[in-house]
Amino acid sequence: MSKVKVLVVDDEIEFATTLAERLNIRGFETTACFCTEDALALIHAKEVFDVVLLDLKMPHMDGMETLEEIKKYNSTIEVIMLTGHGGGISLVGAERKKFGPFDCIMKPADINELTTKIKQAMAKRQLALDQGEGK
Amino acid sequence: MKKDLGWIKKIFPGVDDYHKTMTSPERYRRFRRTLSMVMIATFLIPLILTTMLSYYEHRSQMLANLRWNAESAKKTIEAFLSELQTVLVYTANGHTYEELVSDDNLNTLYHRLKSYYPGVVDLGIIDHKGIQQAYAGPYELFGKDYSDRDWFEVVTVNKTYIGLVEMGYRKVPHFAIAVNFINTTNGQNWVFRTNIDVTTLDKYIENISAGPLSDIFLVSRKGEPRLQTTSQQYGPPLSPFPYRLPTNRIGITISEERGVWDYVDLKAVSFIEGTPWALVLMKHGYLYGKDWSFFKARLFFIVLASTFLALFVILLITRLFVGRIREADEKRESMMAEIEHTSKLASIGRLAAGIAHEINNPLAIISAKTGLIMDLLELSEDFKHKKKIASEIHGTSNAVERCKVITHRLLGFARRMDVTLESISINNLMREVLSFLDQEALYRGIHVDLDLGDSIPIIESDRGQLQQIFLNLVNNAIDAIGKDGKVIIKTRARDQNSIQIDVIDNGKGITQDIISHIFEPFFTTKDSVEKKGTGLGLFITYGIIKKLGGQISVRSSEGVGTTFSVILPVKINLSRRVFDVES
Repeated sequence: MSKVKVLVVDDEIEFATTLAERLNIRGFETTACFCTEDALALIHAKEVFDVVLLDLKMPHMDGMETLEEIKKYNSTIEVIMLTGHGGGISLVGAERKKFGPFDCIMKPADINELTTKIKQAMAKRQLALDQGEGK
Repeated sequence: MKKDLGWIKKIFPGVDDYHKTMTSPERYRRFRRTLSMVMIATFLIPLILTTMLSYYEHRSQMLANLRWNAESAKKTIEAFLSELQTVLVYTANGHTYEELVSDDNLNTLYHRLKSYYPGVVDLGIIDHKGIQQAYAGPYELFGKDYSDRDWFEVVTVNKTYIGLVEMGYRKVPHFAIAVNFINTTNGQNWVFRTNIDVTTLDKYIENISAGPLSDIFLVSRKGEPRLQTTSQQYGPPLSPFPYRLPTNRIGITISEERGVWDYVDLKAVSFIEGTPWALVLMKHGYLYGKDWSFFKARLFFIVLASTFLALFVILLITRLFVGRIREADEKRESMMAEIEHTSKLASIGRLAAGIAHEINNPLAIISAKTGLIMDLLELSEDFKHKKKIASEIHGTSNAVERCKVITHRLLGFARRMDVTLESISINNLMREVLSFLDQEALYRGIHVDLDLGDSIPIIESDRGQLQQIFLNLVNNAIDAIGKDGKVIIKTRARDQNSIQIDVIDNGKGITQDIISHIFEPFFTTKDSVEKKGTGLGLFITYGIIKKLGGQISVRSSEGVGTTFSVILPVKINLSRRVFDVES
């Protein structure tokens, strides 16, 4: 079984690289990226990612807009939001189902909790792929 | 623009004090006193003015009546005297001087005249030398010489004369009327004279009505005034009249002659033209007059009754008014304090959340880095100090974990989370909460009583958050007791729209200086090592209750215990809740 491909997007370079490294140790194929533009560029360049870990607050384009872009491009990519503040997500109902994140985790996140969430997200993506959704 | 009340404040100090922030009882007493004084003055001044006006109006009305009476009496007497003079003139004009000096003719005239005017005492004809040439009457006065008398000179010059009352030869009070004629035969003057008994004048005056308590009489104008007719008060004619007459000869002069207390004689004096007399009309003690007494009594009663009524109403109204102002001031002050407290907590909440967010990012890096170090340590082979490093990193990781708990709780207070609404039976929820804490309470010998009210409405709220609130409150109650005590959880419906839950403990209580800070973050009294609190429990509880549209309050007596009361709405007003949280 191939490795789960994870993209970590956070403007805190130290955090993004360290987290990527820890996930790699745990058997994920992780790429770190420090701005949303680069992240979207990578996704649009046909790089296949199964799960994106996305910081909510980032310069230029915030996490919510990025999430929407990702979902519009490929709705099977699961996104887990990472947030350093109490803002949370205010999407509800159908909108949340369509453009919402898989989950929202507060920083600093526990690595075990995070890996569990990534695995659950991957399972969900796998199910969607099996049902033939997305591109 | 603020109005300058300087002059009002000089007269009524404290008139605008009520709006100042102090709510001391003395300030309100002063305000009440001032307000009462202003109102009483506002009422009494017009009342006194109206009363005085009525008093003087009534008095001037009485004076006008007196003047009218005097005027009328004067005219009556003048008409009587004029009539007498006219009778004399006509009587004399019907005869020549020669005819009249014949005794028979004068006697006939005398008797005829006496039959009309019984007061006529006698008639006499005096020639130009002053010798009485003819006389008809009861005395022997024929041939009497009047040439040296003043009146004879006056009548020669003035053509008519009315004399003062005197006793004369007749020894009865009488007065003389004399008319001067010219003898057409020789062109010499002669005088036709009659004496009239004063009783005639008395009777005539008696018939002039000037109302009760009045005394009308004539007095002499020259020298010391003497009565010319009988007075009820001062006696028979020629008695002295104790008052001086006014110098004003024209019109009627009214004056008051004061006696003791309010006994006042009102005196109207009028000089009678062509006579040496003045008419005097006196109202004795007119202030004792029935009308006046009745008027005064009525006036006095009305003023007294109105004043008492006004004083009663004014004092009642001012008391109510100042009481209401005081209540409103106190309410306003307590609301201001509440608002200040709430806004202080909100500001602290925002500040704390901001700081937590700023700390969270570096904390996340530390957490990730220590995590990576631990990962790498696990992957590497044994080397010197590996265990020591692992242990130090583990310690660092624990410290980060503690920081994380604090920042997450702080953020939780300010976080705008989706509230999951569901129908909740508060009694069931309290039972659930208690099931978490049963063991702890049992272990500490604390008895928890559930006093759950009947017919409490099902509320719409967030179950998880309510559980957090009451877990926190009951946990605090258990901590406040320590060992062996009692916690009561009471639920009841306040009205159709809200319910109340009281968590009551019989612990050590909270002192007044602490109670005002208990909802502030990082405020804790749990100082023992094993129970060390974050000081965020009640702060977060407060935030959640506000978010759910409720209120929390606390009452405590030191040594007796503490009661936390939570009021929750039956239905949450979502728009208001969001506003509350965001603001």
